[in-house]
Amino acid sequence: MIKRTYDWIDERLNITPLWRDIADHEVPAHVNPATKMSAFVYCFGGLTFLIIVTQILSGMFLSMYYVPDINNAYYSVQYITNQVLLGNVVRGMHFWGASLTIIMVFLHMLRVFFTGAYKAPRELNWVVGVLLFFIVLAFGFTGYLLPWDQKAYWATSVGAQIAEQVPILGPYIRLLLVGGSTVGALTLTRFFAIHVFFLPAALLVLLGAHFLMIRKAGIAGPM
Amino acid sequence: MSSSEDPREKLSDAPRHRRTYRELHDGREPFFPNFLLKEWIIGAMFIVGFLIWVLLNKVGLGSIANPNDSSYIPVPDWYFLFLYQALKYYPGNGEVFGAFLVPVIVTLLLIFLPWIDWSKNRRPFKRPLATASMVLVIIMMSWLTAEAWAQHQAEVGGSAAGGSSSSTSGLPFAVQHPTSTALMATSMPGYQLFENTCAGCHGQNLEGSVGPELRGIGNVASSSQLLPVITKGFPPNMPPGGGLTNKSQLQQIADWLSQQKQK
Repeated sequence: MIKRTYDWIDERLNITPLWRDIADHEVPAHVNPATKMSAFVYCFGGLTFLIIVTQILSGMFLSMYYVPDINNAYYSVQYITNQVLLGNVVRGMHFWGASLTIIMVFLHMLRVFFTGAYKAPRELNWVVGVLLFFIVLAFGFTGYLLPWDQKAYWATSVGAQIAEQVPILGPYIRLLLVGGSTVGALTLTRFFAIHVFFLPAALLVLLGAHFLMIRKAGIAGPM
Repeated sequence: MSSSEDPREKLSDAPRHRRTYRELHDGREPFFPNFLLKEWIIGAMFIVGFLIWVLLNKVGLGSIANPNDSSYIPVPDWYFLFLYQALKYYPGNGEVFGAFLVPVIVTLLLIFLPWIDWSKNRRPFKRPLATASMVLVIIMMSWLTAEAWAQHQAEVGGSAAGGSSSSTSGLPFAVQHPTSTALMATSMPGYQLFENTCAGCHGQNLEGSVGPELRGIGNVASSSQLLPVITKGFPPNMPPGGGLTNKSQLQQIADWLSQQKQK
């Protein structure tokens, strides 16, 4: 039954080459932790992707309850934490996952750096990776405000003040971030929008490019 | 290469002895499912470890944002601490340099790294400049992060660093840790005052954070015993009256706390 359904789709859309290409490409021994345990450092990138997937999933569940306005944001987070079934676990995953993503991105970057894997012909993938790193930091910065507690509010205020120090463009960057004269209702809604729409879109596009480029240029050879 | 032509896939000539990995093939293997399953073993351990951490480390929620409370000592999340700390070393106009020029230069160096470190050499010791710079950057970032955290802890009142368990010292009453955590008598006026004024340090549910846990405080102290303690405070960690000066409000908080008889 499953086979017949698959064949029916395959006859029309010829999907087999698509996934066979992904499945059959060979992975060299020097990045395989089963060949040599120390090759686990080559898993950092994959683990980063894994934790990003859990971030997306936990974030999707949090958004079922979270309300991005200054009257309700705090209480909706409180509700998630204290009332929703497993809400504290999902929030815990998203909270700690944020830190773990940063750690894993950093470790992945160090691995690429110290093995010189960014050298020709993989320069462009390094550039995309650095952009992804900044996207992840932006996720951290915007997500920090969303619980709307004291820590969140004042950290964002200081962040906006720092952004204002940029010569000439500073006040405009601050206005773009904060949306008004002080951190308030407008800041929260735009941080929410950036956190759940703008950044994920950029993240997915860049991740797609990142993975495509690994396939095109291949994994860097053994040291 | 289809599987029927691939000698590696043949099962008929399976040897009697266990062949080494290299004999078996050159170590390359298909991404799916062979390699992915092995990587998934690492991934599964990673996820399990992560979930255990999540379950053991509950995420708290401070008190609600109060834009008028400029006394709050702000701190960014830990991964921005190094940047935050670095800015402290650029006084006055130097902040432009610290907040803009240095980050921009570092960002550009990072993005254009493949063209800066352009040699074919990949081994870290064959390109000492790049390796040494990165090691230096890691050491500086770690040091700045540690320094920022130490300074922040000193600012909010050093001894409170270790969370609720270590910060109970100095409390004149021996508070047990009750198993029941529900708040009591939340209709009393002292409850709202507590949530607005005290919960930032003692927790929304008396669980304690910077300040000690206060669950079950009513079991060991009466309202008349609590009032002088609150009024005096524990400077510098807790200001006198927790910042409140109105005597009747302090009395209301003491009255409410004396009702917190969680077992």
